[in-house]
Amino acid sequence: MAIILQVKDLVTKFYTLDGVVNAVNGVSFELNEGETLAIVGESGSGKSVTMMSLLGLIPMPPGKIESGSASFNSEVGLCDLLQLSPEEMREIRGGQIGFVFQDPISTLNPILTIGEQISETLIRHKGLSKEQAREQTIKLLSQVGIPDPELRYKAYPFQFSGGMRQRVVIAIAIACTPKIIIADEPTTALDVTVQAQIIELFKELRDALGVAVIWITHDLGVVAGIAERVLVMYGGRPVEIAQVADLYKSPKHPYTLGLLGALPSLEAKESKRLVSIKGTPPDLLIPLKHCPFAWRCDYAFDRCWEEIPPLISVGDKHQAACFFDIEEGGPHHD
Amino acid sequence: MTDVKKLVEVINLKKYFPIVGGLFQRTKRAVKAVDGISFDIYEGETLGMVGESGCGKSTAGRAILQLHKPTSGQVLYEGRDLTQLSSAELRAQRPDMQMIFQDPYATLNPRHSVRKIVGEPLVINGKMKKGSLELKDKVAELLELVGMDPAYMKRFPHEFSGGQRQRIGIARVLSLNPKFIVCDEPISALDVSIQAQVVNLMQDLQEQLGMAYLFIAHDLSMVKHISHRIVVMYLGKIMEMTDRNTLFDDPLHPYTQSLNSAVPIPNPEIEITRTRFILEGDPPSPANPPSGCVFHTRCPLVTEECITVEPEFREITPGHFVACHLANTKGGSKIFMPDSKKEAS
Repeated sequence: MAIILQVKDLVTKFYTLDGVVNAVNGVSFELNEGETLAIVGESGSGKSVTMMSLLGLIPMPPGKIESGSASFNSEVGLCDLLQLSPEEMREIRGGQIGFVFQDPISTLNPILTIGEQISETLIRHKGLSKEQAREQTIKLLSQVGIPDPELRYKAYPFQFSGGMRQRVVIAIAIACTPKIIIADEPTTALDVTVQAQIIELFKELRDALGVAVIWITHDLGVVAGIAERVLVMYGGRPVEIAQVADLYKSPKHPYTLGLLGALPSLEAKESKRLVSIKGTPPDLLIPLKHCPFAWRCDYAFDRCWEEIPPLISVGDKHQAACFFDIEEGGPHHD
Repeated sequence: MTDVKKLVEVINLKKYFPIVGGLFQRTKRAVKAVDGISFDIYEGETLGMVGESGCGKSTAGRAILQLHKPTSGQVLYEGRDLTQLSSAELRAQRPDMQMIFQDPYATLNPRHSVRKIVGEPLVINGKMKKGSLELKDKVAELLELVGMDPAYMKRFPHEFSGGQRQRIGIARVLSLNPKFIVCDEPISALDVSIQAQVVNLMQDLQEQLGMAYLFIAHDLSMVKHISHRIVVMYLGKIMEMTDRNTLFDDPLHPYTQSLNSAVPIPNPEIEITRTRFILEGDPPSPANPPSGCVFHTRCPLVTEECITVEPEFREITPGHFVACHLANTKGGSKIFMPDSKKEAS
């Protein structure tokens, strides 16, 4: 499988009146063609800022991408997303990289019809004529499961329910047959039955179009059903990367272990007490010299307070940023 | 739940919100947010209430506590009908019945210290004097009870994280020793790791103090975790009510079955192999609910009868209530799902 996106050591900071917010502190990952990678983390873990940095959507100032690279294997060859000019970025964003955000009502323009908004993408990126774009839009609408697409072409966003609006946003994302779709909490604002519909739709489209998906979420339940690999983030750093089955079966980072323990199980007959992670997430205003999870971690020992653990290999395609081997019950041997 | 006393009885409770319009602001229609719900809450139990947005679960919680004046119906608290009480009588009853809200940021006054926030109910209800040492000790005790350092009482809400604020809200609620607490999405605004902390705290407190919870949430797995019995709501009506395990092992209402099927399970092996039944469309508007059974527009088993006749909320097996024409003990209301084992029986 060819790598389509390789992110290396991305660091993004925000210079605010309160101080420097260390939002993303060195994120590296790769995305293969047609693969679904989930990025999981709680609020403030840096998962959204990572994606905004890649898409060139960080407001600068106060934001600043301090270092890193993101080489994207585009149609015209390799390019570094972080070095592109705003014009070049606009060509890629919405074209070769589609995106779906959490809240469809603020993504869509309330005073343009659904049809105009989808056509716009096609005209802008593919150079279609208005008539061609209209035809293509109607096809897209039916592809994302909107009934009566010809009628709905002329509808406005307020006439749609939340789930239908998210379908429209997905239609825009896939309009130019992108190589990557970045979906930032696409189902969080939706009800559980509608969430299930959208997840199914994503899976269908992914398989039909062969597009790679980066799925950002805080919900480990959703991840289990859609992702092939998972990146867990904490305090602006990746703490674990693994194939989905390995992550759930044998989590190697204490934070991942805690997150999984905090989820109630639907199958259990007797409810066990939930495992809670003590304390609260780190304050990103303070630059850390040690493991960001140390003060919430039951396994922390001297070394965890002295240096930041790097990602190390702990199994087949499985990396974790922890000095402690949970299964062995002691520090990793170097 | 055999010899346990009923604490709250909700009988045919309705809450309609008028839609006004036209030149004279006449009432044109009504949003039937809660449309005739009945259930009991026993002492010391947790009754979970689930449903999608707009199903009326929050309105139901508020109408039970008389924070919304119900349109009709009764709410008996220890046999007294709350809907008939004068506001003075109701105020005297309030210390027993409290509420935990969803948003811990909006429910705490930013200008009040934690000491004032937690102690205020005691002062207002004339139990303790403002500024007294006794009150300070009580606040310290309450903070300790919810797992916070009593030294925090001098601080203000903005100094705390979401989970800590929710703890402060819980300490305030506990100050009056309530017997019944309505919890309206108490953990939805919190991160996963913090949710577990708050849920554990709520369960510990119930064990220690023995109060009853009405736990309102949209997260089915968390509701199952914390509740003894569960009520499923859809468009202002109760679809199904039973104990937590039956609701998941043997759901009779097609809506409950599809809800169960829609919940993502945090286990890739199960997720990949399981066959899901996915409902189509969105819930209809409560301003214009469908005729007959409110679920008939999305139900895969819909019959002629469902469209015209509203199903009665009836007891199929002891303690298992369902509002569905097709429900019976022979699986008449089961959506065919290959992984459900009870198909043959």
